[in-house]
Amino acid sequence: MRRRLSVGYAAMVAGLLILGLMMVVPYLWMVLSSLKSNAEILSAHSTILPRHPTLAGFNMVLTQAPFFRWLWNSLITSTIITAVTLFTSAISGYIFAKFEFRAKKVLFFTLLASMMVPFAVVMIPTYLIVARMGIVDHLSSIVVPSLISAFGIFLCRQFIESLPRDLLEAARIDGAGEFRIFAAIVVPQIRPVMSALGIFTFMAAWNNYLWPLIVLNDIDRMTVPLALVFFNGRHLQNWNVVMSAGVLIMVPVLVVFFIFQKQFVKGLTLTGLK
Amino acid sequence: MHHGAAWTSEKRKRSVQKRRETRFVVVWLTPIMVVFALFSILPVFWGIGLSFFNYSALSVHNPFTGLANYQRILRDPLVLKAIGNTFQFVLIAVPANLLSTLVIAMGVNAVRSRVLKNTLRTLFFLPTIAPVAGAALIWSTMYNLNGGLFNEILGFLSIGPIKWLGNPNIAMLSVILTTLWADVGYNIVIFMAGLDAIPDVFYEAARMDGARRWYLLRRVTLPLLSRTTLFVTVMTVISYFQMFTQVQVMTNGDPQNATRVLTLHIYTAAFQYMDMGYASTMATTLLVITFVISLVQLRIGRSRWEY
Repeated sequence: MRRRLSVGYAAMVAGLLILGLMMVVPYLWMVLSSLKSNAEILSAHSTILPRHPTLAGFNMVLTQAPFFRWLWNSLITSTIITAVTLFTSAISGYIFAKFEFRAKKVLFFTLLASMMVPFAVVMIPTYLIVARMGIVDHLSSIVVPSLISAFGIFLCRQFIESLPRDLLEAARIDGAGEFRIFAAIVVPQIRPVMSALGIFTFMAAWNNYLWPLIVLNDIDRMTVPLALVFFNGRHLQNWNVVMSAGVLIMVPVLVVFFIFQKQFVKGLTLTGLK
Repeated sequence: MHHGAAWTSEKRKRSVQKRRETRFVVVWLTPIMVVFALFSILPVFWGIGLSFFNYSALSVHNPFTGLANYQRILRDPLVLKAIGNTFQFVLIAVPANLLSTLVIAMGVNAVRSRVLKNTLRTLFFLPTIAPVAGAALIWSTMYNLNGGLFNEILGFLSIGPIKWLGNPNIAMLSVILTTLWADVGYNIVIFMAGLDAIPDVFYEAARMDGARRWYLLRRVTLPLLSRTTLFVTVMTVISYFQMFTQVQVMTNGDPQNATRVLTLHIYTAAFQYMDMGYASTMATTLLVITFVISLVQLRIGRSRWEY
């Protein structure tokens, strides 16, 4: 029985490995292309391995374009969005989980319903609001509409609900203020959810493409995904430059991913199963 | 008398506490809900409202036109094509995603070596961390007619090159392949966790009864996984109905509008032609479509939960 199974088992493992390694091919392709010249990529006789390896693409990205400015734009906006979203999600989640107040059910239902609304529905009015605020083409237009996450509030509420009431009552009897109870008792208890929510909020902000595309025009204000596509101009296709920029952007992300991999996977399962 | 005083002081203490709690809720929740209303609720109603106007951000006069925009949609072949393309994308990409991720998740879960299992999971999850815009660019070059990876491989097999993004019959499938590469990782990880959560006793009991593998899958795994499956399905359908970045970067709706999906068309109408009223009408249509489909899925899913 065991032996008969093991042939099938080996085939399955081999199949999975081949499939898994195929997932890496586009990344390898990106690295190889970044080392070619643009002419070589576009030539009819190009080969998979670069024939004349060159760093021209990298040189172009680092010297001819505000590359670090773009990295900074993405970093600062994503960090602010993540920090504020974590705070607003945790405190609202706590309030929805442990307090009774008027209109609680209606508010919570509205939060849930808002998660089903496609972004295409809200993007036009949100643009009009941002335009009225006079912040189009400013980095704040990326941040301001993304400070509250219905999903984040929902997630935090789910986890805070299961915290024992006695824990909070004990602190109240000791005379702790409500905000102190939240900051010193509730937040440390939901740290795994917070780190999961933090990772996903940051990733979503870092990778967001459609909204920055609508509100940002100035080259110096672009975020990373916009900049990548910007290199891929309508008139001049600098593929090697695009690929070099891709490598430069992906490397730090991959490093961060490998450091936090456990939290990544754990976070995803936490958010997926609740 | 004494007893009464203690009672009132206790009552006062409780009302002081109650007031503190109310203040906490009001002070923190009010600003959060105001911002939420401003950027998540108001735009929904504003958007639906705009769909009844001939609205452009550039013009001063934006007349109310009633249902004219909706009638225009029914007569607009491009919008109808975009709706059709969106459904085509969802109907192919969602089943392909769910089927492949479930099979891969079951396969990886069955791997006995812990190291190998983690390696496989990492490999499948790796693409999800690339920005979709970046993934679309990489794949664009792999689809290049000359020197692109796919045609290089075909050339190696002595097969002529294919216009992966230039042939209207193939372009959508190419976009779907890129999409699958970019986000199967999420669903694989969620399915793996769902499979892990099924208690072994169920399998042992079924095996004692001499159940075959196929029977185990149909009668044990799939029913016990239905909660995860429902979650994954609803999320994937909602996100695929909104697919935008890949097509905008790879084809911008071409060739011959074969990849023009609804969100791309809404974006183009609103921000390139400034036809925001009409774009809002399309967006409202998308809202209705996704809302109805989500409700149907939840209804079906819920009735299946009762096992």
